[in-house]
Amino acid sequence: MSRYALAWRIARRELRGGLAGFRVFLACLALGVGAIAAVGSVRVSIEAGLTEQGAVLMGGDAKATFTYRFATEAERAWLESASERVSEIVDFRSMAVVQKPEGPPERGLTQVKAVDDAWPLYGAPELEPALDLATALDGQDGLPGAVMDPVLMGRLDLQPGDSFALGEQSFILMAALEREPDNAGGGFGLGPRTLVRTEDLAASGLIAPGTLFDTEYRLALPLGSDLDALETSAEAQFAESGLRWQDARAGAPGITEFVNRLGAFLVLVGIAGLAVGGVGVSAAVRAYLEGKVAVIATLKTLGAEGRTIFAAYMMQIGVLAAVGIVLGLALGATVPFLAAPFLQDRLPVPAIVSVYPGPLAEAALYGALTAFLFTLWPLARTEQVRAAALFRDISGGSRVLPRPIYLLVTALGLAALVGAAAWFSGTWYLALVSAAGILGALVLLVLAAAGIRVLSRKVARTRAVRGRPAVRLALGAVGGPSGEAASVVLSLGLGLSVLAAVGQIDWNLRSAIARDLPDVAPSYFMVDIQPDQLSGFLERLEGDPQVSRVDTAPMLRGVITRINGQPAAEVAGEHWVLQGDRGVTYAAQPDSRTTITSGTWWPEDYDGPPQISFAAEEGAEMGLSLGDEMTVNILGRDITGTVTSFRDVDFSTAGIGFILSMNPSALQAAPHTHIATIYAEEAAEAAILRDLAQAYPNITAIRVRDAIDRVAELLAGIAAAITYGALATLVTGVVVLIGAAAAGEKARVFEAAVLKTVGAVRGQVLAYFALRSALLGLAAGAVAMVAGGLGGWAVVTFIMNASFRFEPYSALGIVLGGVAMTTLAGLAFAWRPLAARPARVLRARE
Amino acid sequence: MTASQTDPILSLHDVTLALDGNAGRVEILHGISLELERGQTVGMIGPSGSGKSSLLMVMGGLERASSGSVMALGNDLSAMDEDALARFRRQHMGVVFQSFHLIPTMTALENVATPLELAGHADAFARAEAELEAVGLGHRTGHYPGQMSGGEQQRVALARAAAPRPDILLADEPTGNLDGATGQAIMDLLFGLRDRHGCTLVLVTHAPELAARCDRTIRLADGRLAQGQRTGSASAEAAE
Repeated sequence: MSRYALAWRIARRELRGGLAGFRVFLACLALGVGAIAAVGSVRVSIEAGLTEQGAVLMGGDAKATFTYRFATEAERAWLESASERVSEIVDFRSMAVVQKPEGPPERGLTQVKAVDDAWPLYGAPELEPALDLATALDGQDGLPGAVMDPVLMGRLDLQPGDSFALGEQSFILMAALEREPDNAGGGFGLGPRTLVRTEDLAASGLIAPGTLFDTEYRLALPLGSDLDALETSAEAQFAESGLRWQDARAGAPGITEFVNRLGAFLVLVGIAGLAVGGVGVSAAVRAYLEGKVAVIATLKTLGAEGRTIFAAYMMQIGVLAAVGIVLGLALGATVPFLAAPFLQDRLPVPAIVSVYPGPLAEAALYGALTAFLFTLWPLARTEQVRAAALFRDISGGSRVLPRPIYLLVTALGLAALVGAAAWFSGTWYLALVSAAGILGALVLLVLAAAGIRVLSRKVARTRAVRGRPAVRLALGAVGGPSGEAASVVLSLGLGLSVLAAVGQIDWNLRSAIARDLPDVAPSYFMVDIQPDQLSGFLERLEGDPQVSRVDTAPMLRGVITRINGQPAAEVAGEHWVLQGDRGVTYAAQPDSRTTITSGTWWPEDYDGPPQISFAAEEGAEMGLSLGDEMTVNILGRDITGTVTSFRDVDFSTAGIGFILSMNPSALQAAPHTHIATIYAEEAAEAAILRDLAQAYPNITAIRVRDAIDRVAELLAGIAAAITYGALATLVTGVVVLIGAAAAGEKARVFEAAVLKTVGAVRGQVLAYFALRSALLGLAAGAVAMVAGGLGGWAVVTFIMNASFRFEPYSALGIVLGGVAMTTLAGLAFAWRPLAARPARVLRARE
Repeated sequence: MTASQTDPILSLHDVTLALDGNAGRVEILHGISLELERGQTVGMIGPSGSGKSSLLMVMGGLERASSGSVMALGNDLSAMDEDALARFRRQHMGVVFQSFHLIPTMTALENVATPLELAGHADAFARAEAELEAVGLGHRTGHYPGQMSGGEQQRVALARAAAPRPDILLADEPTGNLDGATGQAIMDLLFGLRDRHGCTLVLVTHAPELAARCDRTIRLADGRLAQGQRTGSASAEAAE
């Protein structure tokens, strides 16, 4: 019989013992695999919904977008020839103004969507009351109709039948816009939606040359259209005129990418959870094998070789791991069905919930690799058990490292796990950084556990704790040779560390946004100021003592199409500056706050070939250098200039910052508007808005505090998702903790019996147990606070480029949480030791 | 209640012990009555299963008698709750076990100091150190039980039992897990400690020659005092 057949026989016989000793093993693996499978399944469900509804979300099978302008006749003709139907929409920000019978008018920032009769090509809007869209937009009483997001209606206190103005055009509100079929592709909007007909805006003064608006031409294509061919054709003809092409295969690229990124990140957090579970898995296998030393020694006495025994136990653990993984997959596959109703409100389309094999296979692979990695070393020790163990006192087993082959296999397993995480997450950088973070945290926790043992031992021997037996006993136990400190600090520490890091990052971001930023940020961002309005605009502000500063700049928008004659993407890859259009300005002189980092600014009266001053940091990322030629498409016209200087641009203060500035003569002939930032006392904001909006109805004011609130809301949502991920890790940690407490119960029973024998009353024994658990929790929490603080500092400083300040309250919460969890787990297993009769316990061990 | 110097230090009256096991209720001790004098050394012998260790546990308040009374130093142990028994032991009793029963997470010094700390002695560690010196382990104070031989562990256990200067020292086959020479050394230490401190020693043993070193021998068979055993404390009996 072959070695493996024999090993399998032994394994099968051993498995008759059942799964009783493996509850923690199975729970750890099932939870870890379940969390990852659930995240993956939810992600795929959302993606499936987005893909299936791509055309509805995008508003067509394909679309062409222009900035600042409508399609030219040639462009429009091509679009019509390529499709069955075309729908044109215009999208821009504006102010909805409601006149009140008394008091000043109410104003609200809104994202206006102006549509034609073909809209929507796919799907249908939902209105309340349930009017037909055409009827609603027809209006009544001689006023054109509009429908509006109920949020804005509430803010402006508008009811159907009320009127309001956009620019200089009045509208009658006909209904609330409950659902907009194509609202997912628009990305991050600052204002709630108002929907009107484009033709009704003609008299509003809002869509003038130079004002900020986008146009989209959505196409309904014949069935079987070749989307690739169409894209190639569109780009070949119009890409350099500023046309941007997109088709429904990526109907909501912003959301898809967000879901992908967040999903990938949460899977990495899930792997951290699996690593915590690995600690429990490893402890369970070690305890199981320690109980099997006599069996192994007997098998060796009977002639079994070390490798046969290793194979037999590997097979047993393999079968158990498979059971744990299957349980986890069942759990993970169920979660999306339960989560679907909660997701529904937060997504533009229904997620298509189903059992998807892809994410389940991914989770199973992570589970198998983790189980393998964390059980290999304990299993390798079976080879070291000698037959003589039968005749001697059996204790623990050797502490030496396993044979080199096992070290090599461990390294390969680890590489496979990290490789798989990188492959599946699609981002090597994030996967490697996360893997390094998890490994680093594990090493830190192991070192911290060792440090805590040494420290506890030292403190236990100081005079300070003499005469306080419960404290001294607890410190002695933490510092003693039981290995309890390492197991608790590892299992709980990693989950708490992730939570602590999330807490620090979240708080630092919120405070950066909510407190630090408004100190330097303007009150209002004003856009669409026509050149002839600028002097009047400034006049109103310059005399106001509550206005500390006003910055203005000409504003155009352009797409960087070529760098040194090459398509820009070929030179600078997918840098964000090249994604869509960017604000472009011109100036004769740099303002006093500008720092030129290299090159020289053009002379004040320069009117030669266009010159460009580019943002230094972004320029370096894109590989630009002085003398490079850059072509920018503005309003369909190519302008090629030479980069003659780089300058620092600080986007963190919400002030005016342009990536690209040119000399005035290059741009000032093009139709354009101005933007302005107003720095004023909060109390003066309402009056400024009222005066400016009354004088210049076409100007849109964005209140920076509102924008910041929106960003903060978005960040809070992301922080919440990551916190849930971290909580899953923590739950696994608690399972490991409970497992460790349960495993230690026998030892506690014995200790309690001995202590009672030498005169300890139950209160003292209980105090000792509670203190011992609390000390371990305190240690785990303290280590997590340090590790989380370090992680938070690294993320805030290096990834978010913000200043970091340690936030003590959430950190304190982490420490107290650690103490509470270990104490509860410890006390839950303290009753049996307390109740046990010393004589019976001690005699049973004779 | 306080006992006078002439009262028996330990007095058992009609003590029975029955325990519930998997196989049903087992009667272990049947109507044991005996008295031990202050300072007396008593050897308790009998075949395996005769109830020696159970009787020792009842004497130490580690096991509660099913009926009858157990008076120690004038206190009725059967009327005390578990915490009161623990407090009584910390003041008056030391126990040594066959399997040492040291707490594995404590060093030798900490194991010995624990009962002194529980009894509220401010100089617990100094006394524990002196006690370890006395059993020849002054150089092993910082070692954990797992780092010591069986003989060394039992010496730590002796030091732990003797450190609070108990009135009664109970030893349950203290050499049962040790080789002959080591066992002999432990016995010498045990009797040396008793002689130094003058406490009452009750020693459970299988070895007649050890029982013979005691002032008095009690024989147990089937949970009863063997025929001819006197319950009184006046005279010592030689072992056979």
